[in-house]
Amino acid sequence: MEHKTELDNQGYIQRSLLDKKEFTFKGFFLQWEWMLVIILIAVMIINATLSPYFLNYPSLRDGTMTFLDKAFIVFPMAMIMILRDIDISVGSTVALSSVVMATMYNSLGVPMELAVVICLVVGALCGLINGLLIIKFKELSAVIITLGTMILYRGIAYVILEDQASGNFPEWFGFFGWGYVYGTPFVLILFICVAIVFGVILHKSTFGREIFAIGKNPTASRFSGVKVDRIKVIVFVLAGLMAGVTALFLTSRMGSTRPNVANMYELDVIAMAALGGVSTAGGKGKIIGTVIAVFIIGYLQYGLGLINIPAQTLLIVVGALLIFAVALPKVRLPKIFRKK
Amino acid sequence: MSEEYVLELKGITKEFPGVKALDNVHFRLKKGEIHALMGENGAGKSTFIKVITGVHPPNAGELFLNGKNVQFTSPLDAQKNGIAAIYQHVTNYPDLSVTENIFMGHEKVHKGTKRLLWKEMHAEARAILQDLGSSIDPKEEMGSLSVAQQQIVEIAKAISTNAKIIIMDEPTAALTARESEELYKITERLRDQGASIIFISHRFEDMYRLASQVTVFRDSKYIGTWGVNDISHEQLIVAMVGREITQVFPTKTNKKGEKILEVKELGKIGYYADISFTLHKGEILGLTGLVGAGRTEVCQSLFGITTYDRGEVFLKGKKVKIRDPKESMNLGIRYLPEDRQLQGLVLDWSIGRNIALPALKELSRKGWLSEKKEASLAKRLAEKVNVKANSIFDLVSSLSGGNQQKVSVAKLLTADLDIIILDEPTKGVDVGAKSAIYEIIHDLAVQGYSIIMISSEMPEILGMSDRIVVMREGRITKIIEQKDATQEGILEAAMSESKKVEIG
Repeated sequence: MEHKTELDNQGYIQRSLLDKKEFTFKGFFLQWEWMLVIILIAVMIINATLSPYFLNYPSLRDGTMTFLDKAFIVFPMAMIMILRDIDISVGSTVALSSVVMATMYNSLGVPMELAVVICLVVGALCGLINGLLIIKFKELSAVIITLGTMILYRGIAYVILEDQASGNFPEWFGFFGWGYVYGTPFVLILFICVAIVFGVILHKSTFGREIFAIGKNPTASRFSGVKVDRIKVIVFVLAGLMAGVTALFLTSRMGSTRPNVANMYELDVIAMAALGGVSTAGGKGKIIGTVIAVFIIGYLQYGLGLINIPAQTLLIVVGALLIFAVALPKVRLPKIFRKK
Repeated sequence: MSEEYVLELKGITKEFPGVKALDNVHFRLKKGEIHALMGENGAGKSTFIKVITGVHPPNAGELFLNGKNVQFTSPLDAQKNGIAAIYQHVTNYPDLSVTENIFMGHEKVHKGTKRLLWKEMHAEARAILQDLGSSIDPKEEMGSLSVAQQQIVEIAKAISTNAKIIIMDEPTAALTARESEELYKITERLRDQGASIIFISHRFEDMYRLASQVTVFRDSKYIGTWGVNDISHEQLIVAMVGREITQVFPTKTNKKGEKILEVKELGKIGYYADISFTLHKGEILGLTGLVGAGRTEVCQSLFGITTYDRGEVFLKGKKVKIRDPKESMNLGIRYLPEDRQLQGLVLDWSIGRNIALPALKELSRKGWLSEKKEASLAKRLAEKVNVKANSIFDLVSSLSGGNQQKVSVAKLLTADLDIIILDEPTKGVDVGAKSAIYEIIHDLAVQGYSIIMISSEMPEILGMSDRIVVMREGRITKIIEQKDATQEGILEAAMSESKKVEIG
C-alpha cells in the first residue's frame, strides 16, 4: 500500500492515512453468507430428492407460511446476541401474548381489533420487564434472568387459560396466517419488510453501531457516551414486540391457542441467529445471514415434514444444525469456508 | 559461533501483512547478564519478545541458544528450552491460589494415580517465594495480591519452570518506587543465581539501576548495543528517538481566561468529600496525590460515570447536574480514561470506528450514519494527532501503546468542547511519545480548552500545570500556583499523617 509521508515543521513524520477501502473479490466472497447460500442450496437439493412435491413454486411459497411466524423474533434476537446477552423467554412471551389476546376476545368481549393491539403490547411489556431486570441486576447473566421470566410468563399463561384451548376468532383474523397479497403470502411480505427495516437499523444507523460497540466493549462504550442501559432495554422491548407479532401469525394460522403454544421457539430462534453468523461472544453478526439461516432451518423442517418425518425427529435435526453452526467456524476448514 | 552467549539472534525479520514489525535486528545475551532493551512504543520490542518465546516464528534470521541454532514453533517449545517471559500486563488466574498460578501448565502429579500433589507444590512454591525474599502465602488467592506481588509470583513461575533466560516486559510500569526497588533486588538475585535477563522498560532509572548492557531498537530496526556506562543519557535518547529532545515540556504560552467550571463542596460517601475548586479557560489544572486519594473518582463524577451525593457544579456560571457521560459530553466535557484498553478503546475495531464512536450523533442525520462523514472525520483527527498506521481501517489492536493512546486522544476532539479531563495521559508511554502528548495537551490549552490533568508523576505535574490541586484520602489538602510549587510541598500535602496509605 502506498501513502505519502512528509515532514511537518517540527520534524515529525506527517502521515497521510488512507480513508478508502479497497474492494477485493477475495474479501467479498470470503464471507460466511456464501457458506449459508451453499447450505441452503444443499437443503433444497436434499429435499427435492426426498420428495417430489417439494421443488415447485406453490410448495416453496406456501411452505414459508409454516415457519416464518417465529422468524420475526430472529432479528431482535440477533441484536441481543450482538449485545452479548440472550433471551430465552421469547417462546413463553409468544404464548402469553397469544393467550391474553384470545381471553380478551372470548371471555371479556374485547373487539378483536383491540385484542390484536393488546397482543403486541403484552409482548412488548414482557420484553420491557426482561430489559429492566437485566440492567438492574447487572451481576446476573441474561440467561438466568430470562430463564426466570420464561417460566414466569408461561406460568401466567397457564393460570389464565388453565390448559384449555381458545379459538373462534373472526374470519378476517385468519388473514395473518393464511392471507395472500398479489399471490404472495402476507407473512412472507411482512417478513421481508421487517428484515429490511432491521437490516437498515442494525447496519446503517447510529443505534445499530452502538449495539455493536456495546457487544465488543461495554465499558469503553459507556465512556464514549453510549447509553448502554437504554439501548439494552429498547432491544429487549423489540424482542418482546416481535414475539407479539409471532403470536398473531401463529394464533391466526392455528385458529386457536393454548398455554403450551410456541414451546421451545426460543431454541429455533437462537439456532437461526447462530447459524446466520451471529456470534454469542458479542459484537458480530449480519441480518442478511440470519435471513438465509431462517430459510435453511425452515425449509429443512418443511421438507422433512413433507415426507412425514415426525415432529420429534425434527428436534434432532434442529439440534444437530445448531451444533453444526457453532462448531463449523472452529473446525479447520479450507480458508474459503471460515466464518469471518 | 561463540559459546559465551546464551542467546543470540541474527538478522531477525518479522513481517505482518502490510507492516514490517522487525527489520533485520540483532541481539546477544551473555550468561548472568541483565540486558536492557529500550525503544519507543512501536519500536518492535514486543514483537521481538514474541519471536524469542516462539509466539511469532520469524520470517528470516537465526536464533542461537547456547551456540546451537534452534527454531521455536510454540511458546511451550520455548518454555521447555528454559525461556520464560513476564509480560507487561500480568496474565494470571485471579481466582486461583498463588501455588496454582505458579504451577499452571506443569503441575506436580503422582506418577501412578495422577493425583495432584498439593503439599509438594505448596512447599515448593513457598520455597521459591522465600528464596526471592518474599513472604507471600502460596495458599493466598492471586486476585487479593497487589500488582507488585503478582509480578513476583510470575517470576516464581518462571523459576519453577527452570527458566535460564527470563524476559521482563516493563515490569515496573505499574509499581511504586518502593515496590520497584524490591523488584530490582529480586532481579539481581536471579542474575546472581546464573539466570540471564532481558529487561524491557521505558524508565531510565530501571536501566541505570540494573543493566550492564543496553540495546536500542527504533522503528523496527536495530540501532546498537552499548555498555550502560559507555553511553551518555543524551546519546541514548537520540538513539531511541532519532532526534534530540531539547526539552521535554513545552514552553508555556497558554493564557488563563474567565472562570469556566466551579465545583463547590462536592462529596460522595466513601470516596471523597468537600471538593471545591475552579477551572479557567485555557488553564491546565494538575490534580495529584497518592494512588487511591480519590482523584479519578472526583473526575469520573464530573464526567457522569458515577454520581455525587453532595455539592454543586457550576459550568459557565450555570448550575448543572451531571447524571451520565452523554450529558456531560453535551455540556462540553470529555474524559480520557486511565485504562485505554478497557475503558478507552474497542480494540478489535478500526481506528476510524473508534474515533467516530463518541461522535455518532454529529455524523448522522436523523439517526442514519454517514460513512463518508465518518471516514473524513476519522482521517482528519487521526492525522491531527499523527497516528502511525496505513489506513483508518487498521485495527486498533494492531497499534503500539503510544499510537493507541493517540487514537484515544483523537476521540476527545470530535466535537466542540470546553473541558478535557485527562487521567494519567502518559501512563505506559515512552519518552518520545510523551513529549508529543505534552505538546498536544499544551496546544489544546493554547486553543482555549480547559484541562484537568490527573497525574502521579511529579515532573509532569510541575512541568505542565498552571495550578496544582493535591488530594489526600478523598479531600483536597492544597491548591498551589505553579510558581509557588515545589516537589517537597506537593509531597507533604499528598502524604498521609496517619501513615496508613502506601506511597504511590
